[in-house]
Amino acid sequence: MTKQLHKVCRELLESGKVQVIIGYGQKDRGQPPHPVFITSPEEVEGLVWNDQCVANLTTYLTRKEIRALGKPAIIVKGCDARAIVVLQRESQIDRSAMVVIGMACNGVGEPRLAKCAACDAHVPAHVDITIGEAVSEPVDPERRYNDLNVFMTQSTDERMDYWQDELERCVRCYACRQVCPLCYCERCVADKNRPVRFSTAPTLKGNYAWHITRAFHLAGRCIGCDECTRACPAGINLRLLNLSVARAAENAFGYRAGLDPEAEPVIGSFSTQDKESFIK
Amino acid sequence: MVMNIYKPDLMKVLQVRQQTGDVKSVRIAFEDPARAAEFSFRVGQFGIFSAFGYGESTFNICSSSNWKDYIEFCFRKTGAVTEALWQIEEGDTIGFRGPYGNSYPMEEWEGRDLIFLGGGIAMPPIRCAIWYALENRDKYGHITVVYGARTTRDLVFQDELDEWAQHERTTIIRCVDPGGETPDWKGEIGFVPNVLKKAAIQARNAVALVIGPPIMIKNTLPVLSDMGLAERDIYTSLENRMKCGVGKCGRCNCGPVYVCKEGPVFSLEQMKHLPNDF
Amino acid sequence: MSTIIGGQVLRDMVNDWIGDGKRVGGPGYVGNHLILYRWLHRSDELLLESYPRPHNSIKEFLFPSHEKLYHYKIDGQHIELSEAVLPDAQQIIFAARPCDAASLPILDHVFNWDYRDVFYNRRRSLTTVVTLACQDHDAHCFCTSVGGGPDDERGSDAMLFALGQDQYEVRCFTDKGKALFEGKLEESTRVGKVGPGPERRLDLETVREFLKTDFESPLWERQTLRCIGCGACAYNCPTCHCFDITDEKVGSAGVRMRSWDSCQMAMFTVHASGHNPRSRQPQRQRQRIYHKFEIYPSKFGEILCTGCGNCSRVCPVGLGITPVLTAIQEEQAARAGTGAAQEAGREKVDQ
Repeated sequence: MTKQLHKVCRELLESGKVQVIIGYGQKDRGQPPHPVFITSPEEVEGLVWNDQCVANLTTYLTRKEIRALGKPAIIVKGCDARAIVVLQRESQIDRSAMVVIGMACNGVGEPRLAKCAACDAHVPAHVDITIGEAVSEPVDPERRYNDLNVFMTQSTDERMDYWQDELERCVRCYACRQVCPLCYCERCVADKNRPVRFSTAPTLKGNYAWHITRAFHLAGRCIGCDECTRACPAGINLRLLNLSVARAAENAFGYRAGLDPEAEPVIGSFSTQDKESFIK
Repeated sequence: MVMNIYKPDLMKVLQVRQQTGDVKSVRIAFEDPARAAEFSFRVGQFGIFSAFGYGESTFNICSSSNWKDYIEFCFRKTGAVTEALWQIEEGDTIGFRGPYGNSYPMEEWEGRDLIFLGGGIAMPPIRCAIWYALENRDKYGHITVVYGARTTRDLVFQDELDEWAQHERTTIIRCVDPGGETPDWKGEIGFVPNVLKKAAIQARNAVALVIGPPIMIKNTLPVLSDMGLAERDIYTSLENRMKCGVGKCGRCNCGPVYVCKEGPVFSLEQMKHLPNDF
Repeated sequence: MSTIIGGQVLRDMVNDWIGDGKRVGGPGYVGNHLILYRWLHRSDELLLESYPRPHNSIKEFLFPSHEKLYHYKIDGQHIELSEAVLPDAQQIIFAARPCDAASLPILDHVFNWDYRDVFYNRRRSLTTVVTLACQDHDAHCFCTSVGGGPDDERGSDAMLFALGQDQYEVRCFTDKGKALFEGKLEESTRVGKVGPGPERRLDLETVREFLKTDFESPLWERQTLRCIGCGACAYNCPTCHCFDITDEKVGSAGVRMRSWDSCQMAMFTVHASGHNPRSRQPQRQRQRIYHKFEIYPSKFGEILCTGCGNCSRVCPVGLGITPVLTAIQEEQAARAGTGAAQEAGREKVDQ
C-alpha cells in the first residue's frame, strides 16, 4: 500500500495536479506517524501508511497556513473522509479543488481506538483514489453506541459525579477544538468577549459550559473521528458526549453526518415530518 | 503585609470628555488620599485600567506628570472593556494599576528642539509629553507638533491644540487625509509624512517622538532621516497587548524585550535590534 | 551510610499529613492508562511504582490553572475591593519527578523579578517537594540534554530512591525535607540507584547559535506547520507560565481571575486594533522556542525547560521541543557540512 501511495502522490505532484500532499510522515520509528505536508515529488518517500496513522488530517483543509501551500491532495481513512463530506456541505472547502486519497483501513491505534470496534467505513467513501483493500460490513447501529449504552446504565447521580470528576481536569487547552476538522469557526464562541458567553477560566462551571456548547455545536455534524478524545491531555472521554448527540440525530432524524454528500444537514433543514418530541 | 500586585487602586471619575465618535478621555483621582499623596509617574508611562465586571485594558497616562490632583487616560471603543468604559460617568469608580514601564527621556531632551508626530488615536500618549514640555518651556527649543487623522472628526484634544499654539516657539500643524476635510478646514490636507516634509522644519539638534499606525511610522522615518535626525533621536511607544503589566504574563515581549517593563518607549536605534515580532 | 524508609511507612505518612489538614499532591491513575498529578485524598491513590512520568506537571500546585486575584462588590457608583483568601495549609508534593521539581527554582525568577507575585510565593513557601528519582524514561524524556538527570536535585527538598521490595533510600537536601522525615528514617548501608536516564541528544550551544541568527529562518515554517495551535504543550509544561486576567461577575459581585494562557493560541497577542504581531502558527511556535532557550536565559540565566518531554508526550500532532530542536541541530550540522565541503572544494581549486 505504501508503495502505491508513493506512486500516486509522486504522479500527482509531478503532473502539477496538486501542489501539496497532506499525509503522514514518521521520522522516528519509535514515535507514531505525524502530519506532513509534501510539496516536491522527491519527498514522497517520506510518506508512510500504517495502523498507527491515527490523526484525522482533514483538520488542515481549512487552515490558512496550509491553504497557502496550494491545491492539496489529502490522505484519509474511511472515518476521516466523512469530515470532507460535511466540510463540503457546509461550503468550507471546494471539493473539486482537491484530490482525496482514501486508504483502506482495518483499524488504527495501539491499543485499537474505540471507534474502530464499530467501523463500517473500512473503505473510504466519496474519495477520488482508493488505495488498498478491505471489506466494509454494515454494523448494528447500537454497537456504535456501545460505550454510551454502558455509561447510561449508571444512575443520574453517578453520571453527574463522573462528569464532575472528568471536567474538573479540563484546563482549557482547547486541543479538542483545535484538532477537530469541524471546529473551523473563525472566532470560536469561547474566544468571543462582546459579550463573554461563558467563563474562559477553567472553572468547573466554565468547563461544563464549554464542553456542552461544543457538543451541541457539533450536533448532527460530528463525524465521530474521536480526535478530540485522543488529543485531550487530561484524558476526558469526550467521545461519550459526541456519541450521545450523534445518537439523538440518528434516532430522531435518521441522520448520520458525513455519509451522504447530497443529504440536507440535520440542523440546517426543516421538515414538517420532523419529530417534535424534544419540545416537551 | 505583602502587596497584591494585581489589585488596583480605586479611582473616582472626575470628568468624561467625548473626543470623537468613538474616543473618550477620562479624568480620574485616587479615592484613597494617602495613595494620591504618594503617587507620582513620569510622562510616557502607562497604566492598567479596570472596568469591574468586564476586565482590564492598557492605556498610556495621557496627562502631564506635573498635574497632581488627577490623571487622565484616553481610549477608543474597540472591545469588551472599552465598551464598558464608554458607559462610565462622573462619580463612577474604576480601577487603576501603575504606573508601569519606562518613560520619555524628558531630561535628556532638555536643550533640544522637539518634534511630535502623531496619527489618530496616538495623540494622547504624545499629549502628556507636549504638556510637560510646555510647562517647562525654558528647557526646550522649538516645539513642532504635526497631528494627523483620517477626517476632521477624528482629531482628539482639538481645543488643546489651539491652546498649545499660543505658546512661544511652538508650531502646531494639523492635517487630515485627502477627502477627510470639511469646507471650512483651515489645516493641512495630506498624510503626516508629506505634511512634515512640506513644513520644512529646521531640525538642528532635534529629537522626534513618532506614534501612530505602523504605516505612518514607516513613511515618516525616511523624512526624519532626510531632516538629519539620527536613529537614536527618534522615539516611539509600542502598544503590544498586555495583561499583567509587570513582566509575568508572557504576552508583550518583542524578542528578548518585555515591552511592559523595558518599554513601551524605544528609540529607533533600540528598535532596530528587536526581531520582527511586532 | 544511608537512610531508608519502607513504602508502607511512606503511605502512612501521606495519610497522616492529609489527616493533619495538609494538602498532598502526587501522581495517580486517572482511568486505566493516564497518570496525572492530582491532589490526593488517600495514600492508596498515590502511585509509587516505576513509570516514566505523569502527563501533567506539578506547577498547578503552585500556580493553579485558575485562581482568584481579588473580589469586588459593585454598589452603584461605589466599588469595594477585598483580597482573595491566600492559602495557608502546608502542602507536600510527593513522588514528583526531578524534572518537575527543577522547574520551581526556574519559575522563582519570573514571579519575583521586580514585582513579587504573592500568590505564587505564598504557595511556594508552604510547599515541600519530595521527588522520586527516575528508574525509567521514555522516548520523550530529554532531561540530560538540558542539564538535568534522573536524580537532579534542583527544587527538591528530599528525594526517594527505590531500593526494591517497597524500600526507599531517602536523601534530604533542605531543612524542610529533614523536618518532614524527622524520626521516620532507619540507618542502612543500602544506597539507591537510578536509571541511566535518556541518552543526551541535544546540544544547546548549537541551538543557541541558531537562535541568535535565524529568527527569520524558513526552518520555522517547515518544522512547525503542523502545529494546530492548542495549549496542550504549554499547559502540561512544568515551566510555561503565561496567563490571562479576566473578570467573572454574577450580579453585583465579581472576582478577578487569572488563568493559564498559551502563546500558541491565535488570540494571545491580538492588539485592540486587530493587528496581530504573530498571526501565523509558525510564528507562535517560534516564540515558544525563543522564550525557552533565548529570552528566559538572557533575562534570568536559566533555560525555561527541564527536559520532561511532556510537550511532545501530549502533542496531538507529534510536535514539541525535541522535534524542533532536533531539526535545528540537523540544520546546523548541514550548514557546518556545507561549510566544510565548500572549504574542501576551495582547497582543491587551490591545489
